[in-house]
Amino acid sequence: MTLFEYLESRRDLLVAQTIEHATIVLMAIALATLIGMSIAVLTYRHRRARGIAVAVAATVLTIPSFALLGLLITPLGLGYLPALVALTLYALLPIIRNTVVGLTEIDPALTEAARGIGMSWVRSLCTVEIPLAWPVILTGIRVSTQMTMGIAAIAAYVGGPGLGNQIFSGLANLGGVNSLNQALIGTLGVVALALVVDLCLGLLGVLTRGNRGNRRPRSRSTAPLTAGQPDSATALAGTPSLAAPSTPQGGQR
Amino acid sequence: MTADVMIELQQVSKLYRGQKTPAVEDVSMTIRRGEIVVLVGPSGCGKTTTMKMINRLIEPSSGRIMVDGSDVTSLNPTELRRRIGYVIQQVGLFPHMSVATNVGLVPKMLGWDRKRIDARVDELLHLVGLEPGQYRHRLPRQLSGGQQQRVGVVRALAADPPVMLMDEPFGATDPLTRDRLQNEFLRLQEKLQKTIVFVTHDFDEAIKMGSRIAVLGDRSSIRQFDTPERLLSNPVDKTVAQFIGAGASLKQLNLRRVDAVDWDEAELVRLDDSPTSALRRLDETGEWAVLSVDSERRPVHWITARDLDPHQDNLRGIGGPATVVEPRATLHDALDAMLSSSSGAAVVVDDAGRYRGTVTIDRLMRAIGEMRETERRRDQPVSEAPETADGPRADAVPGQRRGARSAADRQTP
Repeated sequence: MTLFEYLESRRDLLVAQTIEHATIVLMAIALATLIGMSIAVLTYRHRRARGIAVAVAATVLTIPSFALLGLLITPLGLGYLPALVALTLYALLPIIRNTVVGLTEIDPALTEAARGIGMSWVRSLCTVEIPLAWPVILTGIRVSTQMTMGIAAIAAYVGGPGLGNQIFSGLANLGGVNSLNQALIGTLGVVALALVVDLCLGLLGVLTRGNRGNRRPRSRSTAPLTAGQPDSATALAGTPSLAAPSTPQGGQR
Repeated sequence: MTADVMIELQQVSKLYRGQKTPAVEDVSMTIRRGEIVVLVGPSGCGKTTTMKMINRLIEPSSGRIMVDGSDVTSLNPTELRRRIGYVIQQVGLFPHMSVATNVGLVPKMLGWDRKRIDARVDELLHLVGLEPGQYRHRLPRQLSGGQQQRVGVVRALAADPPVMLMDEPFGATDPLTRDRLQNEFLRLQEKLQKTIVFVTHDFDEAIKMGSRIAVLGDRSSIRQFDTPERLLSNPVDKTVAQFIGAGASLKQLNLRRVDAVDWDEAELVRLDDSPTSALRRLDETGEWAVLSVDSERRPVHWITARDLDPHQDNLRGIGGPATVVEPRATLHDALDAMLSSSSGAAVVVDDAGRYRGTVTIDRLMRAIGEMRETERRRDQPVSEAPETADGPRADAVPGQRRGARSAADRQTP
């Protein structure tokens, strides 16, 4: 059976596993964004606290994924839950780190102005600081998503859902019929899914930036609105200060 | 406290944690309604700290600060700050919000409805000469530095606060823009009559802007708190005199404005006039030069007999540059304009740049003479250039004239 024939014959199963895979990753990212941004927001004003937060998140990331998933079996058992918890923990570091960086890099004159005109801390955070740091934070979310896509495949080891099941069963029966197809399909599926989700997040970046970016081209020239969009998309993907926090994850992936 | 007093500092001190000497020590000061009080002093003297304690961006360690009759520490700090306009050197416009949103922030926090905010924003933008239709939807980065600072000022004015705090508001702009912003702000203040605390390290700016000036020394101690006139004529001690620096007489030119002296009339010619008619006018009037104006009566060139070429059809492009000043400008500005003009006279123009009159060096001399008179100082007759009339001042501060001013400049960040 060729790869393509295998794909045809197992279409329903594969589609289901892909959806499961995407769901658990996105749930983990949503949780990690909520938790990570909260931690970052609570700690970024104090040098020591934010240092500790980033260091702890970084330590979690250095635990090999097999080990972490295995350790979580004891308290949480097998299945969906340990996978979700592990993925969320792994996704924290880029988000915490980028949120802290994004918030601390805001021009102090702006936060002073916000305070000076009578904004409370929460208001300043919601209307000034987070919107300004948002491109940096979103890049952290994107890095986390990419990373968790790969780790989610390993979650099949503890009975988690997703394309990892294809890979594991393929590797377990190596030499058997379709085993290579299974492993390949699982891997390629994860890669394809990662690319698609990243594209979606990229689009989200463009959309959430739209309000600010739209007017720029008009003032510079009479270029139509669409001209500004590829412009801001490239800016988002290639912002230099954003790439820096994500480098430690290179080896982990 | 009388109704006349707007801000009162009572023995205010600020000691930062972990420091032995206080940043501000035992400062008492009374600021009256509607005046601009300038805090001026070398950098690091605590003037900004003193100012920031008024809206509680910095909490005083001891002492009391009263604003409009109530103790600031008894008020909620964010609500207090919404009632006090705040302008900083870096402007601090939020880059992701349009000009209109930035200006409307405080009214929005105060719960105004949308219509009222919109109307207020337009009114304010008009006030500083930014056409609302053109500017309200722009982002701050699409404005020039001067325009940004104007928006920064109107943002502080948005909810019509009775008190404004300004921390070197014009410090980051180039000298020409700064001058214009200062004039504009003084014009605004004439209408608005706000109580303003203005921090600067630039003594010239202090003289120009201040109703009263507090010269501060270390730990924000008040060396002298007086009107600009009295500060220039009677510095209380050596340190103050040193801070005022060289050329106190020249600086007094900053105290008078162009609209306070008499203007002369220039002989006007149109750009379309022929050189021959211009020559005839020169002959008839016996003037040294005629001023060419465009169709809007905006001055273009000073034209002397030597510039005229009878073979030309009109007066376009002929003559030396005419430098202009606004009626709001100081005599110091006017002197500067005269010295850089080809005719030795500055042309006074209105807001639209149209001709109103001219100020000559003679008028300037007379004004200086009057100022001397009022101070009852027996100076030498006003027949020399102001620079040399500076002589007596030099004796008052022996050996310290040179360098004192530049030293003060250098200390600034």
